[in-house]
Amino acid sequence: MHWVRTRGRATAPYGLGLAAVLVIPPLLNIIPGVAPGYVLYLVSLALIYAVVAIGLGILVGHTGQISLGHAGFFAIGAYASALLTLRLGFPFVVAVLVAGSVSAAIGFLLGLPALRLSGPYLAVATLGFGLAIPQLVVWQSSWTGGSSGLHGLPLASLPLGAFTIVFRTDQDYYYLAAAVLIVLTIFARNVVTSHTGRAFVAIRDSEIAARAMGVDLVRYKTTAFALSALYAGIAGALYAHLLHGISPEDFTVLLSVDFLTMIVLGGLGSIGGALSGALLLTFLQNALTRLPVVHDFKNLYIVVLGVILILTIAFFPQGLAGIARNSRLRWATRTLDRPAGAGQIVELGERSGVR
Amino acid sequence: MTGPLLEITDLTIRFGGLVAVDGVDLRVNAGEIVGLIGPNGAGKTTVFNCISRFYQPDRGTVHFKGRDITRSGSHEIIRFGIARTFQNVELCRSMTALGNLLVGQHVAMRSGVIRDGLRLPGVGADEARATQRADEMLELLGLTRDRDHVVSTLPFGLQKLVELGRALVSDPALLLLDEPTAGADKQEIQGLADLIRRMRDRFDLSVLVVEHDMSFVMGLCDRLYVLDFGRRIAEGAPADVRNDPAVIEAYLGEPELEVTEV
Amino acid sequence: MLSVTPDILTDLPWGQLLVNGLALGSLYALTAFGIVLIFKTTRVITFAQGETAMFSTFVAFTLLTAFQLPFAVAFLLTMLFAGLFGALIERVVIRRISTTTVLNPVIVTVGLSLILLGAAGWIWGYEIRTFPDPVVGPPYHLGTVVVSQLNALIFVVTLVLMTVLFAFFRFSPTGIAMRAVAENRMAAQLMGISIGRMNALGWGMGAVTGMLIAPINYLDPSMMGDVALKAFAAAVVGGLTSLPGAVVGGLLLGIVDSVVGFEVPELRNTIAFALIVLVLVVRPGGLLGRHETKKV
Repeated sequence: MHWVRTRGRATAPYGLGLAAVLVIPPLLNIIPGVAPGYVLYLVSLALIYAVVAIGLGILVGHTGQISLGHAGFFAIGAYASALLTLRLGFPFVVAVLVAGSVSAAIGFLLGLPALRLSGPYLAVATLGFGLAIPQLVVWQSSWTGGSSGLHGLPLASLPLGAFTIVFRTDQDYYYLAAAVLIVLTIFARNVVTSHTGRAFVAIRDSEIAARAMGVDLVRYKTTAFALSALYAGIAGALYAHLLHGISPEDFTVLLSVDFLTMIVLGGLGSIGGALSGALLLTFLQNALTRLPVVHDFKNLYIVVLGVILILTIAFFPQGLAGIARNSRLRWATRTLDRPAGAGQIVELGERSGVR
Repeated sequence: MTGPLLEITDLTIRFGGLVAVDGVDLRVNAGEIVGLIGPNGAGKTTVFNCISRFYQPDRGTVHFKGRDITRSGSHEIIRFGIARTFQNVELCRSMTALGNLLVGQHVAMRSGVIRDGLRLPGVGADEARATQRADEMLELLGLTRDRDHVVSTLPFGLQKLVELGRALVSDPALLLLDEPTAGADKQEIQGLADLIRRMRDRFDLSVLVVEHDMSFVMGLCDRLYVLDFGRRIAEGAPADVRNDPAVIEAYLGEPELEVTEV
Repeated sequence: MLSVTPDILTDLPWGQLLVNGLALGSLYALTAFGIVLIFKTTRVITFAQGETAMFSTFVAFTLLTAFQLPFAVAFLLTMLFAGLFGALIERVVIRRISTTTVLNPVIVTVGLSLILLGAAGWIWGYEIRTFPDPVVGPPYHLGTVVVSQLNALIFVVTLVLMTVLFAFFRFSPTGIAMRAVAENRMAAQLMGISIGRMNALGWGMGAVTGMLIAPINYLDPSMMGDVALKAFAAAVVGGLTSLPGAVVGGLLLGIVDSVVGFEVPELRNTIAFALIVLVLVVRPGGLLGRHETKKV
């Protein structure tokens, strides 16, 4: 029973999330005045970004590294999958898996120089990586489509024995994105609450202690990079097929910054945080442009976004996850309940942002 | 086991132009508590850091259980059976006491990202076993009450205990203690000496202690090495070392010189 | 006898590339100098350097066109504005953020740059304009190398500024106080040096040095993007804790950028950053910086 209690508290938000995912499409069809197709497209995009955010969160939040170039992995996944399906006729599922693997392999390689670098120096190195990828794509335009990009990607499909599911509509793709996100969230949660996750955090908190305890930094740092690259790569592949086409301009530094913003807004060290941060930022970016304001929309959205970022760091340094945690604690102490016990790793992200 | 557990020969470590450790010989036999003392800056912690493989020696060798570990990686040391504590407590600050003791058992866990991510069979059993071992150690050290407290919220003395527990939980043959009395009061220091002796007896350990507090080592150690300016200036039983004129002279410049036995 | 050096290297107009590279590098160096200065005094790595420079440039533009002020006057007024603006940002925003991680300053300064970008677009619009030329006249010739009037001006300004700053930090009490703060904040505070004032000064100067590269031909809110990015990289390569390093890093990067831009323009950023990564891997603390290793 104790096991159920501690499990229940931690997984309740995920249960709710799952329910929400299943309920959204039928709901949208009922609500008048809303274009369900577009909203589902937007949600799918948010879910795809959430996949990146979760992977990046493990690298940055749990292992304490930094990457200003994750749009690069996103791009690698997108282009790999696009080329495999468009030019080589690979089935969708295989293409996505290969795209993810390629991205993971490159992530592993990028993890190697990261062993020597930290802080701003690592930031610059990863920044360079993120800038290089789109440029390399344009350089090799003969087979990558160059700056005009790749278009007309085949529809996503999933062969199941006798028949094949084709994800044709926005709603179909929404379910695909949601399914992938759910699977990858479970995997991430397993990693983070296990000893591997513990080793990651040990590296973040004290590399010296980690080494003295036998944690092989080479192995674990490159694994963290590879894992986050895997997630970004799979997400990139899904992105390519959501849009039915990609071009190098989709993968700028700003996108890398967006990914970082998602995990900071959501709360570092928390998977739920990465998820909510991705959802929040995607909707913010799209909703703000629709605010009925007299002046120029574009400028306002940019300024408001900037203000939100600054205010969040100043007043909610632990992001949405921190807010949730504080509310939970306040509720718990209100009913004189005991916080969760046996063997659970305390949720992390204990960075105070206010001096 | 024949031969010393730990044998350091002609160890020399330079930082730029400064010779921090100069041709030091040292050995620890099985079951001993050996002290490494000397004034500030004598090079004691540098020797430790070399054994732990955080520093590279310019000359000399380190042998443990007969194996040459002079060029081993810093993460391999614990597998050979050497665990240590740090002068500035190096705990994983965001984790609980339990969490830290679980990290300490890293080498006993068969962890891997695929294995953990897919929750393959065996993961749960490993975790349960490690948790039980950690709980036993916490109880031994009187830390059960702070089991689920984040260590950064604990007072310094308790943090040092957690770090000791983390070192012990890996079942080492040799325990390196780096200034265990730093920041401790008189009462805690007395308790510490007893604790170390008990741990040595219970877990069949050997201990190498770097210390600044003379009275602490006098009562605790079987043998002492004294360093000054990177060189070994004395060696032997505490009683002999205490009266060695070279040792007295090395410490004469020190503000606190309490040579009364605990 | 086979030639060892590939043609690609011998056919380059080295002199011209060097001059162009140094001019470009001066821009990077000045911007990078500001970044390092801000980092040393407030331990914040600013991603907003480009946007603060851009904003100040627009102010200068307004002074020149709307108010028809002479160049020198407009320039000085803008410097003043930039300085005060930087100090204001430090006081209102930067002071409140913790610098324990690299991430917090990244997000906050990115937020700052977004605000400035949006504000600039709102006030002045997004059309591309030309900034009035500060100097007119035929370019100079040194042998086969052509030095445009603008480049010459850049060299002069950079040289003068670097000399002034060097003297300031070496000899003036305020400059020495700033260095003290950068080295050891607590000790400086105990000595009675106002950290707040020094921080504000650091930000102000950072804004000024960035703004000095303003008079490049075109002017629009996104003008500083590439330069700021490279300047940031140059600052890191030079060693974030070293002011001379920022200058050296900037100049070197300018030369590399210029050479690569000539030979393989499609891979300009890629090669530049690949070299940067190489430098960092070999010297993790930057060329002239101190690699801060934790004491065990």
